[in-house]
Amino acid sequence: MWRLLENRRLLSLLLGAAFVWSLVSVDWGGAFVHAGGIGTLQQFLLAAFPPELSPAFLRIGLNAAWQTTTFAVASLTIAVVIGLPSGVLASGQLIPRSRRGSSVALGARLLLAVIRSVHELVWAVIFVAAFGFSSLAAILAIAIPYGGILGRIYGERLADVPEEPLRALRASGASPITVLIYGRMPMALPDLLSYTFYRLECAIRAAAIMSFVGIRGLGFEIQLSLQELLFSQVWTLLMFLVALVVLVDIWSTRVRRSLAA
Amino acid sequence: MTRLLEIARNDRRQRRPMTFARASACLVFLLAAASWGYILLGTDSGVGDLVSTQTWSDAGRFFGRLLGIGVDTQPAYFQADQWVEKGKLAYQTLAMSVLAISIAGIGAFLTFLPGSRNVSSGDLGGAPSHAGFVTYCLFRWFFTVTRAVPELVWAMIIVFFLSPGILPGALALALHNYGVLAKLSSEVVENVDPGPARSLRSSGAGGFQMLLYGILPQTLPQFVTYLLYRWEVVIRTTVVVGFVSATGLGREFRLSLSFFHYTELGLIIFWYLLLVIGVDLLCAWMRRLAR
Repeated sequence: MWRLLENRRLLSLLLGAAFVWSLVSVDWGGAFVHAGGIGTLQQFLLAAFPPELSPAFLRIGLNAAWQTTTFAVASLTIAVVIGLPSGVLASGQLIPRSRRGSSVALGARLLLAVIRSVHELVWAVIFVAAFGFSSLAAILAIAIPYGGILGRIYGERLADVPEEPLRALRASGASPITVLIYGRMPMALPDLLSYTFYRLECAIRAAAIMSFVGIRGLGFEIQLSLQELLFSQVWTLLMFLVALVVLVDIWSTRVRRSLAA
Repeated sequence: MTRLLEIARNDRRQRRPMTFARASACLVFLLAAASWGYILLGTDSGVGDLVSTQTWSDAGRFFGRLLGIGVDTQPAYFQADQWVEKGKLAYQTLAMSVLAISIAGIGAFLTFLPGSRNVSSGDLGGAPSHAGFVTYCLFRWFFTVTRAVPELVWAMIIVFFLSPGILPGALALALHNYGVLAKLSSEVVENVDPGPARSLRSSGAGGFQMLLYGILPQTLPQFVTYLLYRWEVVIRTTVVVGFVSATGLGREFRLSLSFFHYTELGLIIFWYLLLVIGVDLLCAWMRRLAR
């Protein structure tokens, strides 16, 4: 009990100290707001009432939302192709209880940790610098770190299912692969799916910011509208982004509920 | 014969009813096919470049230069002052990420309770009120909007008002992560065991006391876990936001790329990886403390 208390107190102390340190490292002497920054902020906020709702611009927004969705979905398909097998390997359940099995799992986990440690946009900038501009560069840039994170989560969820049904399967002579396919997979499926949906939501944001390397979509349009100071258009595009995220959220909840029923 | 087919079809339908999940699976496949179709046919896909040897030799030269192969000047790896300079930028980046996650955490901590359905609806022993429902909806809406917009887009907007430095980038990061953290923690509150709160209420505790002693002790460990998890995400994104807000490693990353200072770029990537791995390890340790 005492030890627990000590640990938590230490943690609070650490978090507090980190916050104070970050405050100190800000240069508080300088001017924070641009000359005229307050006015621009006011303009920006007022531009939300109402946002640009002309049919022509809504069509542009819809088109951009579709482009962003295609990049998100395409990236996620590759990410799942990377994540599922490596997640199975990382869970350490395919070749259980052997030295070779655990070293394979460790290797898979290490590889997944490496590929997910670099942000998707950093991958994108590097890929574009190395291979030139293309859609595939942006898609792979998203798919690689997302494959890494999916693999990690899939591995954890597959390892975390209740043990009793698996024991029953094993007792009736099932091989590790059969146990994986008929035991672990179905039990972990709702969790795997809802995490994948969550990643789709993140992939939509990632696809939007691929505008930074020149990919068209919501981010691209936002950049254009910002450059021309058309803030009411920016709000419309932000609402498209919000709508996409909410749609994915609702879809994910309904799928999960339908699986549970 | 047709009758037989019909029976078989009915039988099939009965065994495999068209649930929402199954319909969704079909939709996912359709969506994936349509997306790939659009990308391969409607955009500059770059699939053709993959088979060209030119692409691969260019890429090879690029990665070689990152490591200092084929560079005429002395590689940045062998210059002590370059190490120190990039290290300072890494320090700045770390400070920016800590500031960002702190602002997001404090904001989320102050608002996740009114954003939880069971607190606002009075399900935990308070009186249900319209005001509670309206604040719940407003907060939820705010969580969603801040979360739906990526950090980089917030940064592009914020640099219109604030001068470059640690603060605008940290604010952009904080805004998005605030939305994520507040949403996650209010969902924790919605799944909390209502027993302690209700019994506190029925023994005469006020609303504030109920939250303080009935809800927070159950949610706080989870909140800290989410906070640390988000910090791991933030440290990866800080560099990217630095592209726009012109701070830390991100600024130098862009500059050295556009000036073709490849070995400096390599050094920056090295510091970046060091930061990410360091923060991941630190978070793993702190999560153990929280448990």
